[in-house]
Amino acid sequence: MANPAGKLSKCFKCDDDAVIRLHYCERSLCAAHFVRMFDKRFRSTVREFRMISKGERVAVGLSGGKDSTVLLNCLHELSKDLPMELVAITIDEGIAGYRNATLQIAKKQAKKLGIEHRVISFKKEIGKTLDAILREQDTEHPTRNTGHTTRNTGHGTRNFLPCSWCGVLRRGLLNRAARELEADKLAMGHNLDDMAQTVLMNIFRNEPSRTSRLLDPPAKGPGFVRRIRPLLRTPEKETAVYAMVRGMDMNYKECPYAQSAFRQLVRSQLNDMEELHPGTKYKVLGSFLAMEKAPGEHPARARFTACSSCGEPGSSALCKFCEMTGKAAR
Amino acid sequence: MRLIIDGRKKAVSHRGDIASLLKKLKVRREEVVVKLNGRLAPETASVRANDTVEVLRVVFGG
Ligand SMILES: [Zn+2]
Ligand SMILES: [Zn+2]
Repeated sequence: MANPAGKLSKCFKCDDDAVIRLHYCERSLCAAHFVRMFDKRFRSTVREFRMISKGERVAVGLSGGKDSTVLLNCLHELSKDLPMELVAITIDEGIAGYRNATLQIAKKQAKKLGIEHRVISFKKEIGKTLDAILREQDTEHPTRNTGHTTRNTGHGTRNFLPCSWCGVLRRGLLNRAARELEADKLAMGHNLDDMAQTVLMNIFRNEPSRTSRLLDPPAKGPGFVRRIRPLLRTPEKETAVYAMVRGMDMNYKECPYAQSAFRQLVRSQLNDMEELHPGTKYKVLGSFLAMEKAPGEHPARARFTACSSCGEPGSSALCKFCEMTGKAAR
Repeated sequence: MRLIIDGRKKAVSHRGDIASLLKKLKVRREEVVVKLNGRLAPETASVRANDTVEVLRVVFGG
């Protein structure tokens, strides 16, 4: 006779062994039922936010990590019912010992699915790799150190956040590539955890205008390809389980550059909260969505203008991209 | 039981389910997936003496 614990390890819908426990709804699912639930949620999210219309050209930011790989596969599946043209874009920042492996996975995935794939490199577009940019920063300000150091991977220590640099440059290049490829949408792999973390970080820092950007409304300004995040209701752990269950080739190596200490803290705290109070991440996302839908005055959404230097859309006369690459070139 | 965590073998004796094992290891449930004898398993699954448990980190940043 099955003991209670044994019973909890069976699928809620059939007699098979469960592969995952969804603590937020107190159900366990087998591989087949988990995949079915995952796909259904993915599709309903795309519908709910009217992310993709029939016949659109959708660019997918494909890093080769689990989230974007799952995203590409799910969009490819969806395209059988909702016709769309997919094109994958991978940004090669030039991170030694990390990017090459994920780049190979990205190439392989796109090829396997028969999806057009562009690789855009920092080296070619900006003139130097992220590694080189960061090395220069180190020698420029050798004494300044705000404690944002990297792991011990030989990538050195530095006085600012590699992630914020990399993020601005990567987003800029992704947007430009998507526009040049005449994409209607730019799909990003952000999951529920990313969303909830960002919402909380912006609350803790009182930066509501940054939170507003998360839904990326269509009328954002000229030059912007509207970003969509079809995995925003998918917990990060579930993208990993999905990738494994569906046998996707995956790289679980992490980027050698440390993330912001603040994001790490919020992530840890949020995961502790989720364990104590399952469903917390969904509640954070839910309250953000409710605020977005509420009528009346919204926190100022940054207005976008064309950058005086490069013409790309930005929130100030000189866009962040030019500001940073200017610094990098100095 | 045999335990593999972060690719390394570790000696641990444990009775109970995977959830309590993760607590003992001070690993956040939200940040790992667990394979029990090579197959993905929910934290509610119990671990027996001859089982092999593999804890795989899937959420990074820390
Ligand atoms: Zn089932
Ligand atoms: Zn500019």
